[in-house]
Amino acid sequence: MKNILIVAAREFRQIASMRSFWLTLLIMPLSIAAGAIAPQLINKDEADRVMIVDRTGGSEAQALEQRFRLDEGRDQLSALSRYVQRHHLERADPRALWSQHDRWYGDADVARFVAEGGTAAAKAKIARVKPEDTPEFTAPKPDYEVVPVPASLASVPDTQLDAALKTVLKPTDKDAKAVDYILLVPASFGQSPLVRLWANRQPSQQFVGTVQDVLTRDLRTRFLAAQGVSPTAAESASTIAPALAISTPPPGGGAREAMLVRSILPLAAAYLLMISLMLSGSWMLQGTVEERSNKLLETVLACVSPQELMYGKLLGTAGVGLFMIAVWVGCGIFAGYATHGAIADLIRPALDPLTSPGTILALIYFFVVGYVTIAILFLAIGAMSDSMRDAQGYLMPVLLLILLPITILMQAVLEGNNGGVLMEVLTWVPIWTPFAVLARLGLGIPTWEVVGTGILLAVFTAAEIVLLGRLFRASLLAQGQRPNVREMLSRMRATPA
Amino acid sequence: MSVLTLERVSKRFDNTLAVDELSFSVEPGTVFGFLGGNGAGKTTSLRMVLDIIRPTSGKIEVLGRAPGRENSADIGFLPEERGLYRQMTALDTIAYFGRLKGMAATDAKREGAALLDRFGLAANAKMTVDKLSKGMAQKVQLATALVNRPRLLILDEPFSGLDPVNQGLLEDEIRRMSQAGSTVVFSTHVMQHAERLCDRLLLLAKGRKKFEGSLDEARLELPARLALVARRDPAKLPGVESAEDKGEAEPGWTRWDVRLEPGVEPGHVLEQCVADQFPLRRFEQVQASLHDVFVHIVGTPETEQ
Repeated sequence: MKNILIVAAREFRQIASMRSFWLTLLIMPLSIAAGAIAPQLINKDEADRVMIVDRTGGSEAQALEQRFRLDEGRDQLSALSRYVQRHHLERADPRALWSQHDRWYGDADVARFVAEGGTAAAKAKIARVKPEDTPEFTAPKPDYEVVPVPASLASVPDTQLDAALKTVLKPTDKDAKAVDYILLVPASFGQSPLVRLWANRQPSQQFVGTVQDVLTRDLRTRFLAAQGVSPTAAESASTIAPALAISTPPPGGGAREAMLVRSILPLAAAYLLMISLMLSGSWMLQGTVEERSNKLLETVLACVSPQELMYGKLLGTAGVGLFMIAVWVGCGIFAGYATHGAIADLIRPALDPLTSPGTILALIYFFVVGYVTIAILFLAIGAMSDSMRDAQGYLMPVLLLILLPITILMQAVLEGNNGGVLMEVLTWVPIWTPFAVLARLGLGIPTWEVVGTGILLAVFTAAEIVLLGRLFRASLLAQGQRPNVREMLSRMRATPA
Repeated sequence: MSVLTLERVSKRFDNTLAVDELSFSVEPGTVFGFLGGNGAGKTTSLRMVLDIIRPTSGKIEVLGRAPGRENSADIGFLPEERGLYRQMTALDTIAYFGRLKGMAATDAKREGAALLDRFGLAANAKMTVDKLSKGMAQKVQLATALVNRPRLLILDEPFSGLDPVNQGLLEDEIRRMSQAGSTVVFSTHVMQHAERLCDRLLLLAKGRKKFEGSLDEARLELPARLALVARRDPAKLPGVESAEDKGEAEPGWTRWDVRLEPGVEPGHVLEQCVADQFPLRRFEQVQASLHDVFVHIVGTPETEQ
């Protein structure tokens, strides 16, 4: 046993002394952090600047500006409502609009919200009841900022605007801010439906939709008025809209969302098992190939038995894999604290499976046994190969055999599929069992299936240790060509000589 | 009690009989040479002694026990094909093998440092192996075998690939171990090393033992030879098998390489020369080299390097 530990410690140190080990160890959390930050970087952080040249007298510009403000208010109200619902803060003001999560906020709702003080007043009410560890509400940024029309443009005839607007859309002065959209509502608007839009890029569908909606209403009102309908009725007809009652699962709560959240931890375990196995396994393989190619084995085998060497290597590699996972989990916990519980709050439902001792046991069992099951394949490949080039020949088919079905499996679990022939096959074939069972733990897998596959996996792994152990021992000092399948089978049959 | 005993040990690989009924024993404190050409079965025999492979039949006893890793604390081994972990430091490498042989970590490090110091590598102790020169790496390899101060040191073709400086270092270490009471068994096909170092020899050919004994006993296997300077051809003298003319020594006198018939004493020939008034200016007995003995016994001269 002592020699197994000494070999394991050397394996661990050898891998830990590699630059690629530390790079990989850091790349994982960095890439996850980058994944979290990237959308924020990609998302524009500034509102689009909009200039409205209204030649009708100013009523259209006013209507548009009002609509932008309403939409901004609606965004804030909706975000506030989700925030209140997520953190159960309705008691701050049960009658407030943001405590009512079952509707689409209409214009009247938004107007009331603004009249009651908007986000600032809501935040003040919430602050009185908000627990300390609950994050602050951050209001979404407005989509549009309406900028005034410069006096120099006001007198430019419509036909000469094209030239005059060029510098506004793309200013030559570096300090001047570009205007994203310029809308011209000609004096003839009403008799003619024509309006013009200049944009410094492909206009967004949302912006065009909003403009069209506001101006269509105005055209309808004018049309109805022209048909003899009273101005009030005409106005009402163009703004009439259904009151939309909405049911959505609460954040982290609804059925499928909840199922997915519960699957985060098991899926992450399956994913981490896969990643850490592939990495530490290939490092171990590299080490074993080095021992063979550097003619080290005979010296080692004079001191330790092939079994001790094999177990030591397995233990060392498992140590490396578990260390990597510990670091990654540690990074996750650190990120949780660093973001003042925002992430912890998000993944709290994901920790639900950990309330069941059976699930915890299954997680640990399938993770550890799965590790041994696959790592020993790498070890046998290393023992048969004189160089990494030799090893690649065996490695590629084995990797494809293991990884390809697993990627399909994970996709299926993410889509909420928890049945079907493929899923059952992956669950019951031992080389895929650890991944399949781990991934399915969150979706709910029958206990008998967990126990059955657990026993089958244990038997398979025991047989693997015996057969691949023989192959490992027989291959260590073997020389000559890479063994073919027949030779491998004969080495597996050979009892220790 | 013998340090190492093999009794009728055979090893078969598929259809090849690598070692055939090999029996011998090594007494404590001796330097034992295991001589044979390529494929004679030397490495296979040593691997069986170390339990790296098991014999097909026969019995092996190492330090009074069956072969196994439990003996590793008392054994030092330097294989023919030597390598080191490239990313480990010289000191860590030696300490690692010391620990695998049952030493405490601190003892292994201390002994490793002492060996590196003795081999002139103290300044390179913290250097990784891939940064050492080949000669330095060879010294580290030797240190891994010596770190546990073994009672039995087994060296498989230890001189192969060594530069002349390290060959001298290794010879010194073998003598040092022997003087300290350890037993050294080494295989080689370079006869000069065996001639200089071995107390006893075993000649192996095609897995079978051809000879076991001391160097003097080995020489007796060959007919004695004489170097003569004479006026006449000594081939006619009684007891002489053949005489080869080696050229003129001085006017009227010729050098002769004389091979005696088996069992004929050189003194007997000298006596005959005096009795027959056979004129001589030089009469010298020539000792057979181990190379000659080897070629005589094993029959192939291809083993010399």
